[in-house]
Amino acid sequence: MIKKRLLPLLLAVLLTLLLGAETLAAVDIPYDSYIYNYRGYIEFTPAPYIPDGNVGGIELGVGSFNFPRGMCVGPDGRVYVADTGNNRVVVTNPAMTEAEMVITEFTNTDADGVRFQDTFNKPWGVTVSERGQLYIADSDNLRIVVLEEGELVKIIQNPQSEMLEPDFAFKPLEMGVDYADRVYVVAQGMFEGIMVFNAEGDFTGFYGTIPVQVSLWQQFWRLFSSQEQRARQQLFIPTEFTGVSVDKEGFIYASCIDPQGTQAAFRLNPKGEDVIKKGENGNLGGDTDPVPDTYNVYSGPSYIVDIVVRDKGVYSLLDRKRGRVFTYDNEGNMLYIFGGLGTQSGTFRLPSSIAYSGDKILVLDTDRQEIMAFKETEYGRLINEAVGLRYDGDEKEAVEKWRQVLTLNENLELANIGIGKAYLTEGNNEEAMRHLKLGMNRTYYSIAFKRYRNDILKENLGNILTAAAVLLVGLYVWRKIRRRGRRKGEVMGDE
Amino acid sequence: MSKYFNKEIFFYFRRVLTNPIDSFYEIRHREKGSVPLAFLTILVFSICFTMNRIFAGFIVNLVDPRTINGIDDLTRVILLYVLFCIGNWSVTCLSEGEGRFKDILTVTGYALIPLIITYIPAILLSNVLGQNEDIFYSIILGVGFAWSGILILLGIMTIHNYTMLKTIATLAITIVAMLIVIFLAMLLFDMLNQVYGLFYGIYSELTLRS
Repeated sequence: MIKKRLLPLLLAVLLTLLLGAETLAAVDIPYDSYIYNYRGYIEFTPAPYIPDGNVGGIELGVGSFNFPRGMCVGPDGRVYVADTGNNRVVVTNPAMTEAEMVITEFTNTDADGVRFQDTFNKPWGVTVSERGQLYIADSDNLRIVVLEEGELVKIIQNPQSEMLEPDFAFKPLEMGVDYADRVYVVAQGMFEGIMVFNAEGDFTGFYGTIPVQVSLWQQFWRLFSSQEQRARQQLFIPTEFTGVSVDKEGFIYASCIDPQGTQAAFRLNPKGEDVIKKGENGNLGGDTDPVPDTYNVYSGPSYIVDIVVRDKGVYSLLDRKRGRVFTYDNEGNMLYIFGGLGTQSGTFRLPSSIAYSGDKILVLDTDRQEIMAFKETEYGRLINEAVGLRYDGDEKEAVEKWRQVLTLNENLELANIGIGKAYLTEGNNEEAMRHLKLGMNRTYYSIAFKRYRNDILKENLGNILTAAAVLLVGLYVWRKIRRRGRRKGEVMGDE
Repeated sequence: MSKYFNKEIFFYFRRVLTNPIDSFYEIRHREKGSVPLAFLTILVFSICFTMNRIFAGFIVNLVDPRTINGIDDLTRVILLYVLFCIGNWSVTCLSEGEGRFKDILTVTGYALIPLIITYIPAILLSNVLGQNEDIFYSIILGVGFAWSGILILLGIMTIHNYTMLKTIATLAITIVAMLIVIFLAMLLFDMLNQVYGLFYGIYSELTLRS
């Protein structure tokens, strides 16, 4: 008897404990998650991603990392880390529980055809092509080493071109490889843009140069400055690219440090033109309203150090200044922001590389010497799915997701716009107006409003016309009466 | 009926819209104007201005609702109004203007009537307009502004017995005068602050020493 009564009680206790643990995890997030709304105000949101443990060299069983700089996730899900200080590349299994491979050397052939064991010197960035070839930016050896299954494929070094200075030292830092094995390289001190190499490893040209931005005020002052003054002024040089990522269609996504804080992400087409879409408020630079404060090291625009393209046109930027991860969709709308600097677990000290693996975002922290994993929460998953469905053109399915997002965060303008558009196609103009107004989308609101107005007019046209006719007749009669009355008065006055 | 709000005053108040030069002449030479009525007009204008910021339709209204403050709007409108009148008076009394300060106040206040009567239909209309049709809203407001501008011009011209060219010239100088007034006011405020700081410094020094 007692046991029977105890069982549900026990179950209840167990359930509360389980659920309690879940909520506790949600409270323990060491950073704020927020988003900028239409007017540029910060709105706090539920966490889209929560910390999911750190993995360092010791956990992988290969000894501690030494200031690792680059990381990428291969097409097979394996994680490649450029362990810069230890001059090696560590390859882990997709679950990141153990190291599958540690590459410290490879067989090279010298000019005389003699084979010898070659090593790396400060490998900075790594990337894996679609075919599974591993590209290592062997920065201090001034070359890019391409390996396949540990065997050397080719070495890209010493680019020759009229466009380059004769004594130019090619020091590659970050790379991206597209489907045709073209390599897009961010090299140190290279302000002309991204260096492109073809599949044979020959330098073919620069790509995606950022135009120099000189403000009117600066131009004005230059007018009045002498030759000597100009020589002493700061040079107007374009900003350098910091990270490269290639999407499945062969578009190159590149990040840069934008001193204006308005555009830190570029999407470059094969001609090297920027074709990225900017959202409603036109901001792709991370934090939109950096407080100008010279005493605060955390003020000023975001310092974007890396970019990663995810599925369905979504991309994330990594900010070193405040340790944030900014995520945008293919239309340039901000989806969510999370992350922060600190010493707690789950916060960054010197984040330098970002990668994406399934439902996880991986960030390599150079100072912590760890890979930090973040897994998506229900909120993050719903947004990702809704954006993905919209990208595929499946608006109807997306609306269901947006509705669920809205139950978790009522203020998300993107969700309101998504639902509003769905109501619009459905023909429910009143609801469409409500949601589009909440989403601050005037264009679509206007469409819904015009339809709503037409409906009202159509329904009441008869009444309106009748009222107008009655009014006209009434006015006419009233004037007649008034005139007659006046005439009578005149007559009476005369008598 | 009081001296400021009687039938005749209201008659000329209305006539500003139809026969501006005529009624401005009456206001100047036959005492048919009323300063309190002008201030009332300014008050109503300020209310209309704020109403427009709050209630204009979503399509045309780009104002952040968190920045709307009716009292602030009112103080700004009144300050600007008084500043303009002082500036104009200081300029015109040096350049043979016949108008008294009272007349400038009245005329400038009355000149805002068209703005009031265009704001209300504009606000109502903006709530039934969609995108691409918002031009009508701008046109109505534009007409109001132009009309008021013309009334100010005619009013200043009539009360001072100026030619049109001289009116425009004095209005331009009026703006300079307004800037000078602002500059002097800021200077005075800053100096007073310094004087206060000095005496407060002496006071705190004394209290701390003893």
